[in-house]
Parts: sequence; structure tokens; C-alpha cells
Amino acid sequence: MAQRFKAALPYFVGLALAAVLNHLAGTITYPARPGQLGPDVWPRIAIAIIAVVCIYEIAKAFLLGGAHSGVQGIAEHLNAEDEAESEPATGSRLSLLLGGIGLTLAYAVLVPIFGFLLASYLFLILFMYLGGIRNHVAIWGSSTVGMLVFAFIFLKVVYVSLPRGVPPFDQVTQFVMDVVQVR
Amino acid sequence: MVEIFTQLGAGFINCLTPANLVMLVLGIVVGLLVGVLPGLTLVMGVVLVLPFTYQMDITAAIVLLTAMYVSGTYGGAFTAILFRIPGEPLDVPILWDGYTMAQKGRAADALGWTLIAALGGGFISAIVMVLMTQPVANFALQFSTPEYFAIVLFGLSSVIALGRGSLPNAFLSLAIGLLIASVGTDVIYGSYRFTFGMPILADGIEFLVVMVGAYGVGEVLTRLEQGFATKPIAKIEQASTRLPSLRELFRLRWMFLRSSILGNIIGLVPGAGATIASFVSYGVEAQYGRRRREMGTGIPEGIVAPQSASTASVGGALVPLLALGIPGSGATAVMLGAFMLQGVQPGPQILLTSSTMVYTIFASVFLGIALMCVIGFYFIRMLVRVLDFPEAIVSAFVMLMCFIGAMSIRNNITDLWLMIGFGVIGYLLERFRFPVAPMVLGVILGPIAEESFMNTMISFGNDWTVFFTRPISGTIMAAVIITLLLPFLSWSRRRMKAGAASS
Repeated sequence: MAQRFKAALPYFVGLALAAVLNHLAGTITYPARPGQLGPDVWPRIAIAIIAVVCIYEIAKAFLLGGAHSGVQGIAEHLNAEDEAESEPATGSRLSLLLGGIGLTLAYAVLVPIFGFLLASYLFLILFMYLGGIRNHVAIWGSSTVGMLVFAFIFLKVVYVSLPRGVPPFDQVTQFVMDVVQVR
Repeated sequence: MVEIFTQLGAGFINCLTPANLVMLVLGIVVGLLVGVLPGLTLVMGVVLVLPFTYQMDITAAIVLLTAMYVSGTYGGAFTAILFRIPGEPLDVPILWDGYTMAQKGRAADALGWTLIAALGGGFISAIVMVLMTQPVANFALQFSTPEYFAIVLFGLSSVIALGRGSLPNAFLSLAIGLLIASVGTDVIYGSYRFTFGMPILADGIEFLVVMVGAYGVGEVLTRLEQGFATKPIAKIEQASTRLPSLRELFRLRWMFLRSSILGNIIGLVPGAGATIASFVSYGVEAQYGRRRREMGTGIPEGIVAPQSASTASVGGALVPLLALGIPGSGATAVMLGAFMLQGVQPGPQILLTSSTMVYTIFASVFLGIALMCVIGFYFIRMLVRVLDFPEAIVSAFVMLMCFIGAMSIRNNITDLWLMIGFGVIGYLLERFRFPVAPMVLGVILGPIAEESFMNTMISFGNDWTVFFTRPISGTIMAAVIITLLLPFLSWSRRRMKAGAASS
């Protein structure tokens, strides 16, 4: 029973989400016109697909015990070898994943403060260490060169508006812009 | 016809201008490298290059992206054949016979067949693309909203039916994509949907943000969880190409044509791309080919079928993009984004308003295919050396490109947060074996589908039967139903076979 519930759990979550979204779709305000469909119809079609699939999968999990016997796309039948190669994640690798997500979130928090250049430089270095590289010269060298190249391309050649950062960190941005001669 | 050839000739001349030529060569090399590196998918590569195109001339930008798209279907075959590392999902079927052939000491032959398949399939599809775009655009001028809706629905159903993963999960992924696309201001009433009071969500969620997140960040997170475990490369001295003889080629001529046309047709379907073309073509050859019992044992048919189909899908995918304004694949969706960022709307009118640009793009496909094969033939060892580069360093820069891509779309940090969110969603979908492609295509095609559906309902007084009663949309809707029934037929056939075998 626990196995069946485990198989059905993601679909219970999906069903609950569908219910919440359906409620939200009902709160969309619009000037109703007689005989015309409202802006909530299209999202509700998508929500209905989610709900139907979730109910089907929950029923399948409880009736068939979560056995993998459903209908699949055509390409799936040809892909058995590819699937056999995929490995389950180990505990230590999960920590890598969480570290990667944490680093990415920290980047998003810090980029308006540190500025694009400094935040990206730190991100590159930390991500490479996280990814298992231990060659310090390669890490610092590639990050420094990479950052200068990116600064030149995106601040001088292809002008993209990227955060400069707040004082005093914006001085770093200014310094790099001077180095790559961006005015 | 004469006019087409004249315009194509002018396109070749335009393509040979220094700016376009540089972009062409750059696109080919980057596309081949993207194809070789397992952590970088073809669509992801095209997405990451997009920010570089913001200040470019539109023609040069599309030439760059098209060249990457073409060569990305070829580069991964090297590593699939030599090292059993499929650089792209589309290279998995090539691996089955290509690697087996290499193990028999015939790696150069396998690479030769790949090159010829890419060249032949690419050229056939490029010719079809040139001949078809104008008639399709002319035909599309007769379309009304029910026809557009039916075409988009056909594209979405094909991706679900032909793709990987369980069918219900694919539907779920698609529905999530459609919901994401519905966030923002509704085009008919101007009312806000699922914006939660956030001003940036009122403008909707850019499909490029979803693509960068799901394909870029999602893929890097998946590889990070695997510890960036790319196998070290060896036997680099085997990396040479021996072209098949004319006699050998002649023997496979029909199969060659069949796979190329199949790839082209799959490319034409909005939403279906090179990966689906590769798998389906291999499947057709394994089921109906003359040497079907030998498939997987290292025969040329097992290499030519997927490779020619995947390269042929490129020309096919460009037709709906240019003639209808509907992307034929993930990569062409990015190109649609590039067009729109430059204020150009592809569609039936584009051949009237920007024919020089369109024919330059056509010419770049021909030149790109030829150049890709030349580079692949002479520089294969150099290209596969890129695998020696530590994946963690490559991935760090890929992440950075994703960040730049997200922040530069609307110059807003919120898009960075959204992109990271979609990266995590992309990772979770991949991790729990939900296909990502339907979600992304739902986001891309959802607004077109909704607009044409709602306009049809308004124009035809909420009469949904109009989709079935009009000749063109009715035919396409019948194709939708058949496509959705395909997996069920395949499933019941396998069950019957299994039942017969057990009894």
C-alpha cells in the first residue's frame, strides 16, 4: 500500500495544485460579454488536462500497484539502451546538486548588489570548485580571462544592460570597464 | 521557378559577404562543438548564443543560428561513434550501429557514412525547403484562425505521441507549458491572469526565459548531480573518416531518400525536431527496412537512417517558421525569438516583405551543410579534443551564459529568478522522468493556440465543430486524432505480440 501511495504522491500534489489553480482562474476579473468565452477558459482547459491525467495516474497506481505499464511515446520504445545507462543519484551527488542550486540562488540575490562582473566572477570560481576541479591555476585563470572576455563582448561589442552593483562594489565594475576600455 | 533560382543565386551572393560568411563559419564551428559536448544540447547552444545577436543585423543573426542548428545535428555523431558518448539525444540511434561498427575496427567507415548521410539528407531537405516555402506561404494566406489552431494542435500532439516518456506525463508536461504561457495579460480582454500582483508577470513569461532555464540550467543541474561524469576519451587516432564508394552509396539510394524525406516531413510538423526525426527514422528502418534483422549489429543503414533524417529535419523545420510563423522545433523557436527581438514577424507575408533575407537564409543552409562536412572531415580530431576540457569549467560558463540570456531579454532581474525557477522545474521533470519538450513547446505554441482558438470561438459563435467541418482544418484535426492514437495502436500491438509469445 505504501508503494502504491508513493507512486501516486506526485499526482496527488498535481491534483491539489490543479484545484488551487482552478480557484485562481475563477478570480480573474474581466468585462463579461454575452455569448463570449472569458479569459479563464483557456487556462481551465490546461488545468482540466492536469486534473484528468492526475486522476488517471492515481487510479492506475492504486489499481495496478504503480506498475510501469502505460502507453508511451513512439521514440521511447527505441531508447531502452539509453535508459539503462542512467544512474540513480547518490547522497554525495545530491549535496552537489543542492550546492549548485544554492550557489545559483545566491548569485541571483547578490548580482544587483555586487554587480554582474564581480558576482559572475565569484560564481565561476565557486562553481568550478563545486564541480570538483582542484587545479587552482585553471580555475582562477579561466575565470579571470573569461570574465574579461565577457565584459568586452557584452559591455562593449554587444551592449547588454547588466547590473553595475551598488557602492562600493560598483567600483569593481568600473575598474573592469576601464580595463576593457568601455566608456 | 526561375524567380526562385534567381533569388537563391542572390542569396548565395549575400551569404558570401564578409559579415555573413564569418557568422556562417562561426555558427558551424560552435554548432559542431555544441554537438560534441554531451552537457550542451543543440537547442541549449542556440539559446545561449542568442544574446550575442542583439546588436547584429537580422540576416547575420539568423545565418549564425541556422548554421549552429545544421551543424549541431552532425557534431554529436563523432563522439557517439568513437567513444559511445552521444553528444545530443538525437545521436542515440546513431550510437547503436555506429559504435558497434567502430568496435569492429571500422570507425572511419562509420564516420564516412555519417558524413554522407548528413550531406545528402541536408541537401535534399534544403532543396525541399526552397521549393516548398513559397507554395506553403501562398497556401497559408488562405488560412483563417481554425486552420492555425489545427496546425498548432497537430504540432503539439505529434510531440506528445512521437516523443519519449509516458503519454500521460507528456500531457501533464504540455498542460504545465500551456498554463505558463497563459500567465500575463490576456490578449482578448486585457485582463490579468496569474500575475499575483507582480508587474513583470503582467507582460507574461517570455518563452526564452523558460527555454534557457529548462534546457540550460536544468541540464547543468542534472549533470552536476551526476558529478560531471563524462568518460575520458581515448583512441583519438581512430578519428578519421573514410567515405563510402559510389557503389555502396548506390545500394542504399532508396533508403537514403526515404530517411531524408521522412526527416523532412517530421521537421515540417510544428514542434517535432531532429531528435524525433532520428528516432522515428531508425524505428522505420528497424521495422520495415531490407536489413531490419541486422539493425544494431553495425550496418550502414543504422547510421544513415537517423543521421540523414535528423539533418533533413532542419530544412523542414525552417518552412513552418518562415512561411507560417510557427516554429518547427526548439531551435527554430529560438530563431523566432531572434526575429521578434529584431522586430521582424515571420509568416506568409515574409517572402513579400523580406525575400532577400529569406533567400540568404536558404543559401546559408546549403553552404552550411557543405562547410560542416568539410570541417567535420578535416578537423575531426581537433573537434573531439574539446571533450578533454573539464566539464565543470564548461558548465560554469554555460550557467553564466544562461544568466546573461535571462537578464538581457527584458533587462530585468525578475527574469533571472524566473529562469532559475524554470531551471529547477526542468531538472525535476528530467529527474522524475517527465519529458521537458512538451512543456517548452506548450509555452511557445500556447499563445498562438489560444489566440486562434479564442478568435475562432468569437468569429464562429462558440461553435467548436468548425474545426472539423472546414476542409483544411478538418483534415488536420483528423491527422491530430490519428497521431494521438498511434501510441495506443503501438502499445496494443506490443501487448498482442507479448501475449502470443507467452502462449
